[in-house]
Amino acid sequence: MTFALQTELFFRRKLLETLRQPVWLVTGLTTPLLYLALFAPLLRSLAGGPAFPPGHVLDVFVPGVLVLIAFGAGMGAGWPVIWELDSGVIERLRVTPASRFALLLGTVLRDAAMFAVPGVVVIGIAAIFGFHAHWGGLVVLLVLLTLLTAACSATSSALGLNLKQIGSLAAVVTGVQLPLTLLSGILLPLSLGPEWLRVLGHLNPMYYAVQAARSLAAGSVLTGTVGIGFLVTGAAAALALWWGTRSYQRAMA
Amino acid sequence: MPDTPAAAVQVTGLRKTFHVKGAPVAALTGIDLAVAPGEIFGLLGPNGAGKTTTLRILTTLLPADAGDALVAGADVRREPALVRRRIGYVGQLGGADVNATGRENLLLAGRLYGLSAAAAQDRCAELLGVFDLAEISGRAVRTYSGGQRRRLEVALGIMHRPGVLFLDEPTTGLDPQNRANLWDQLRQLRDGGATVFLTTHYLDEADQLSDRVAIVDHGRVIALGTPDELKRRYSGDTISVTPDAGTPRTPALTDLARELADVPFVGKATVEHGAIRLAVTDTTRAMAAVFGVLAARGVPTRAASLALPSLDDVFLQETGRSLRDTGDHATARETEEVAA
Repeated sequence: MTFALQTELFFRRKLLETLRQPVWLVTGLTTPLLYLALFAPLLRSLAGGPAFPPGHVLDVFVPGVLVLIAFGAGMGAGWPVIWELDSGVIERLRVTPASRFALLLGTVLRDAAMFAVPGVVVIGIAAIFGFHAHWGGLVVLLVLLTLLTAACSATSSALGLNLKQIGSLAAVVTGVQLPLTLLSGILLPLSLGPEWLRVLGHLNPMYYAVQAARSLAAGSVLTGTVGIGFLVTGAAAALALWWGTRSYQRAMA
Repeated sequence: MPDTPAAAVQVTGLRKTFHVKGAPVAALTGIDLAVAPGEIFGLLGPNGAGKTTTLRILTTLLPADAGDALVAGADVRREPALVRRRIGYVGQLGGADVNATGRENLLLAGRLYGLSAAAAQDRCAELLGVFDLAEISGRAVRTYSGGQRRRLEVALGIMHRPGVLFLDEPTTGLDPQNRANLWDQLRQLRDGGATVFLTTHYLDEADQLSDRVAIVDHGRVIALGTPDELKRRYSGDTISVTPDAGTPRTPALTDLARELADVPFVGKATVEHGAIRLAVTDTTRAMAAVFGVLAARGVPTRAASLALPSLDDVFLQETGRSLRDTGDHATARETEEVAA
């Protein structure tokens, strides 16, 4: 009961913080829409070609963009953590009886909301331009990608708490972002690449989320791909939440 | 507070060593102290003496390597959750959420300590009044002045009416007026029954605000008592003599200091900034004797003064250094200590 209340209090605090900076709300929406508007047309000429999955080009690309939104919504969590370390907010909260897990979860839930809202908007807009929405699969897809957001958000918070410096965090996050994105087949399906690239992709946890997302977007819910996607993403989220909570327990200003 | 413990804070043999780039740095080498309920207790010492480390251990932020600490009747090591419920903490960094309003900060703090929404509202309104923040309570803390922000941070620390309030260098960076106001508020808290435990490197803060003082240096307590007791116990008045350095007849200051230390009624002699400081037990007799020696040696004197005892003299007597001088070169250590 107290834990739920504390989580709600921290969630409200983080949500207010975001809503007061409308610029994030705007870029949270424009970035995925720009992908749809500026990148999807490039794929059109590939669609129907060799190794490209069947279906409308948006059917292949929209799940990938949703994964990008989830990744972006989560990975930003570390920056405010460093500000809060520097200004003593985290130190003060650590001296209160508040649960460290609730503290972490407040940010994770805010990020989940910051994924879900633009995610639904993007699905709606893509549907207008030819994306075949399988609504049942999309609901499960949103659940899967909320887990991915949670994994990214908790990881980013943990990184912020451990690295303690904006410069180091930026280096790690941008350094990890590119290989994770390229090796997950978000922008182009990995099946287009040579075998070594596909092998590398299988080492990337996000790859399984993207594969599962494509399956779910196509309306296939009860597939092995989806099962593996949930397994890998769920395990990543559990591990990240554990790491984040532990980092809050040990954080030093 | 369920029952009244004998001491609000009871610390024995507290030790802590940090490892900075692999090398051990001893921050606390055995701190012992006891704070009675309802007193303002000051931990005075130069930067790097171990004040912040002590406070961080007492507030459950940092585990000690060895030693016991009982805070508000709970064991810091075994019952950290209980300690956290019973204490308030105002850190050096402040810790107000600058993106939120003052009111939001206070309400969140109250709710986290288990106050109901209505109780938090009431307490918030009360504190906004006490700390003169009502008018700006709806503004983001980012827009507050240094003094306003500090007042909010102290209010945050006492939102849940803690039995023991810890403050780390609470008046650093405050102008004299805000400083005096904060002192008044801390005295009122004490008068209301709370125990106030603060660190400071300001002599006057320890002297005038604190009911009792522990002076710390190199991670241990070197003197403990009321400011008056300490000043009386450790030093009488101090005579300061500045020989004229320009004449060949002036002997080396250290030689002269050694000689003057042997004069009756003179305790300890130290050399500082070209002056010889003499701790004396009987001011009048010592003064006559000292000037007698100087005259006999034919040492020309440029300046001589009599200083009333201060807590700095206590520090000087114990360490051979002045608190006023130790600040700068110890800063690097404190930075490491905070970063460790």
